Amino acid sequence: MSSLEKRLAAEKRFKFYGMFAMTLSLFFVLILMYKIFSTGSGAFVRTTINADVYFDPNFIEVSSNSSKKEIMKASYVDLADQVINQNHPGLDEENFIKVREMYTRKFDYQLRDYIANNPNVIGKTVNLDISASSDLDQIVKGNYPRNVPEAQRKINDYQLSILDSLDSKGKMSKTFNFWFFTNGDSRDPETAGILGALMGSFYALLICFSFAFPIGLLASVYLEEFVKPGKITDIIEVNINNLAAVPSIVYGLLGLGMLIGVFGMPYQVPLVGGLVLGFMTLPTIIIASRASLRGVPPSIREGALAVGATKMQTVFHHVIPLSLPGTLTGTIIGMAQALGETAPLLLIGMVAFVMEIPGGAFDPATGLPSQIYLWSESAERGFLEKTSAGIMLLLSFLIIMNTVAVLVRRKLEVKW
Amino acid sequence: MLYLSLVLVFILSYSFYFYGKKRALSLKFKKNENLSSLPDYYGYYVVLLVFFPAIIIWFFLLLFKSNFQEMFVMSPVLFPDVATWSSGKFGLIMNKISNLSMIVNLSEIDLTVGDKSILKMASESEIIAAKNLANFDKIYGWSNLTLFIILPVLLGFLATKSISGKLNAQPIVEKIISYVIKGSSYIAIFITFGIFFSLVFEAINFFRYVNFMDFFFNTAWNPNRAFVIDASDGFDQEALKEAFGFIPLLTGTLLIASVAMLVAVPLGLLTAIYLAEYASSKVRDIAKPIIEILAGIPTVVYGFFAALSLAPFIKDVGEGVGLPVSAESALAAGLAMGVMIIPFVSSLSDDVIKAVPQSLREGSYAIGATKSETIKKVILPAALAGIMGSFLLAISRAIGETMIVVMAASLRANLTFNPLEPATTITTQIVTSLIGDVEFDNPKTLVAFALGLTLFVMTLILNIAAITIVKKYREKYE
Amino acid sequence: MVDQNSNYALQTSEVYVHYGKKMAINNVALNFPKNEVTSLIGPSGCGKSTFLRCLNRMNDVIDICNVKGKFLLNGNVDIYSPDIQVETLREKVGMVFQKPNPFPKTIYENVAYGPKIHGIASSQNELDEIVKDSLHRAGLYEEVKDRMDDIATGLSGGQQQRLCIARAIAIRPEIILMDEPCSALDPIATAKIEDLINELKENYTIIIVTHSMSQASRVSSKTAFFHLGNLVEYGETGKIFTKPDKEQTNDYITGRFG
Repeated sequence: MSSLEKRLAAEKRFKFYGMFAMTLSLFFVLILMYKIFSTGSGAFVRTTINADVYFDPNFIEVSSNSSKKEIMKASYVDLADQVINQNHPGLDEENFIKVREMYTRKFDYQLRDYIANNPNVIGKTVNLDISASSDLDQIVKGNYPRNVPEAQRKINDYQLSILDSLDSKGKMSKTFNFWFFTNGDSRDPETAGILGALMGSFYALLICFSFAFPIGLLASVYLEEFVKPGKITDIIEVNINNLAAVPSIVYGLLGLGMLIGVFGMPYQVPLVGGLVLGFMTLPTIIIASRASLRGVPPSIREGALAVGATKMQTVFHHVIPLSLPGTLTGTIIGMAQALGETAPLLLIGMVAFVMEIPGGAFDPATGLPSQIYLWSESAERGFLEKTSAGIMLLLSFLIIMNTVAVLVRRKLEVKW
Repeated sequence: MLYLSLVLVFILSYSFYFYGKKRALSLKFKKNENLSSLPDYYGYYVVLLVFFPAIIIWFFLLLFKSNFQEMFVMSPVLFPDVATWSSGKFGLIMNKISNLSMIVNLSEIDLTVGDKSILKMASESEIIAAKNLANFDKIYGWSNLTLFIILPVLLGFLATKSISGKLNAQPIVEKIISYVIKGSSYIAIFITFGIFFSLVFEAINFFRYVNFMDFFFNTAWNPNRAFVIDASDGFDQEALKEAFGFIPLLTGTLLIASVAMLVAVPLGLLTAIYLAEYASSKVRDIAKPIIEILAGIPTVVYGFFAALSLAPFIKDVGEGVGLPVSAESALAAGLAMGVMIIPFVSSLSDDVIKAVPQSLREGSYAIGATKSETIKKVILPAALAGIMGSFLLAISRAIGETMIVVMAASLRANLTFNPLEPATTITTQIVTSLIGDVEFDNPKTLVAFALGLTLFVMTLILNIAAITIVKKYREKYE
Repeated sequence: MVDQNSNYALQTSEVYVHYGKKMAINNVALNFPKNEVTSLIGPSGCGKSTFLRCLNRMNDVIDICNVKGKFLLNGNVDIYSPDIQVETLREKVGMVFQKPNPFPKTIYENVAYGPKIHGIASSQNELDEIVKDSLHRAGLYEEVKDRMDDIATGLSGGQQQRLCIARAIAIRPEIILMDEPCSALDPIATAKIEDLINELKENYTIIIVTHSMSQASRVSSKTAFFHLGNLVEYGETGKIFTKPDKEQTNDYITGRFG
């Protein structure tokens, strides 16, 4: 029976291949998650250097009576230098620069913000944790190797010695990097935050929803309830199915050519980004909504008509509310996909360095995925963990949105 | 300001609902008129007559805001010969005025420092225009606000006045709503046409600079060769010919897509077979959603992973074996893309395999065939059409993918079939040609639309083929 | 009762079948004489199809189905023994289903499927012969000899079912199980199949599940009456249909229920 044995062996092998393929696919998901998480978690902590800060009035242009506006406009570069002198006395000019580089470049802004919140501190000494520079931060986190020749390091030997001495005095510590959530983009990785991109995506999604949901819902109502099935609806259906599969970059071109080119809308604003995402999400919503409307049994419609309701009343009072959970599920899933789309944002300009947090859909902004792209293109090592952290944030939103969609379907859906 | 106007429109429309309804009710109870419709409908009647005209005008003002801006600023009063300007000159002057407008009203600028030179270089008309521009937003905003207070209120009162017992509001309301939903569905179709036309229009503009045949059959892609400083100068025809050859983009796209399919097809299909035929329902319930996650991960994440981990890894492995591998190899991008596409193949194939009737399986088992024999000789041939459809959709997705290739593949064109070499794709070049200055009369920008049109047509054909095949397959079994 | 006598193609005893917790077959013992047609009758849901599917281990495909009992093939082989490969068993015990299920392949390929898989034919010629012979025995050859390369699903219902019989025969089984083979066919096709069964019994043992009592009385020599998972009565077909021992049997055949 050797042919039988061969066949059984072939069966075993085939089953094994299948299981191997499935396991490999699962494995990819795990690797991806692991890589992202392990590189990104570093972004949520920030290395700080503890220092005694004497707010020397001789180096401060404003007084404790100055208005907030004046305080925010003044320069504190000299004060920052003075603080460093005080904490590291007796440095010659070359070493002073090296030590200064160990502190964040935005040291003067940190001081400014502190004074703005506590104007009475002028003339007093306070013990503060100052943010370290990105390169120092990376060394402390172990992302830069220490035991390579000095020429290959971003931190030179002298700085390392200062670092070790500070460390032995207990002045080095780590703090939770809430700046990641409260700051906009920055040229310095240690102060870069995601808030600007978050708001940009938020406004864009708001516009996307405002455009795509009502139009998608109404269009599907028309196609499902008011038009007789026939050649025309077939063509429209093919049309919409195709739109759902068009590459997202083509929608970006549409936005560029039509919205920006013909209608002259501004570059880089969430308004245009949101409209483009809306164009993209519209077919998804229509498809989901039509399926949901189809799911409402004819008996409901017949029941309403039988008591004398008009078609319009039947549809709006009975059919639409019953189909809403399914439509909403599809909409939320569609918006989750829109949140992760980068290509259209690139083409309409929502991808340049923007420092300010956008206040509305008309302000220039980046979006979450395009900010991730920008950071990933940066040469500075400190942006690597920011990129991964941004990805973690993006994935979290996607998980939340998809979970909400599933919950909406489970809790609200009416089973026939 | 425009925001505020929108909010106003909503609030005012909403309040007029009550006003209209109240009027209808007062007609009924105080004047004893018989109403032809339910009072609600008179409310809706007023709302619709207020809302839709207002919202349409609002959209109009939003879309054409910058056109109004240009008309206001570049008026013939200030620039008598503005009608004769070329679009290039118009753009330049507009830019200049735009820059001026940012500083022209700032009293704090120390005019002894650099900025004064800009002011010096501007004519008096331009400075006035700049001041106008700076004020434009304010003027536009306030006038909109007033408009959107007066307009809705006016409409509202007129509509309410027209309410009488004889006025049958319900059919009017329903008619309006039927127009609205009809219009909504036309918007969806309009988008398709919008895509098509905006691509075609700009592509045609491109083909004015570069010959159709030259574009599609040339093998050299060097857009920088056609770099021109001033748009109003002529273009070097010969240089253009050498600059925009489509073929290396096509081969690059196909090369990377092939690598992706080589990963996705075996893994996706075998996974689908295993999940559909062998796995217990517990395993299936856990594994299937996790694999679907691969499809939900944004492509920028794959691109990051490919550029950061995959490409260096492949390079190291390659060099360890003695093969020359580029840091931007098509292999890296293709592998990442392949992983992304796995769920496209596995999900659809899984559905298709499950749709094969159980009676066929039983017929095969009854003859004494093993499971793998049944799958290979009965089920897969029966499901073939559907599986082919899933492949086509996967290829279409691979061709249209942007971020993975932008981040992991090369930006330089390279005509090769060697996956260890760098290559660029259609989508990458669309992105790179639009980064930087976007001028709609420069072939460097316009080529993006020609490429986009080509991409659109390619994916359209694949998608239609896929959907048709899958549809025919479903009809066979249902 | 288990008899070492190999006059029986198949002997079963102490058969219990459960779907999860629900019992479908309750302690059935039944023997099937060689080269005879035995029919299993009973109302819907009585378990006759379930029992039939035990005989070629078709119930293995269903996860929640649990089969216990002795099933001896030719008096000496327990088909549920772990030494037995189910693929070999099904070479000996073939099955024809209620709804004809030809593969979406050509007529030729449908019949050739089994022999190819089991490696029965050693040359293309031999395979052709087997296919031709099987189609003859199924009474289909004349009708399809000129269109062997046509797709099988283009045949009529009755032809498809005979094709399925040819397919089952092609691997030279000893026993053919038929699960209501005519219920999806029209009367003329049914008659053809019943004639076929009469011819086939010369060379094969046939066990047929049928809803139609008239069919049972036409084709079978032995009949087993099932009810709610129990074997109520077994005996000569003639006796069962004229003078059954059990009252339940009598009620069924006179149409009082089922």
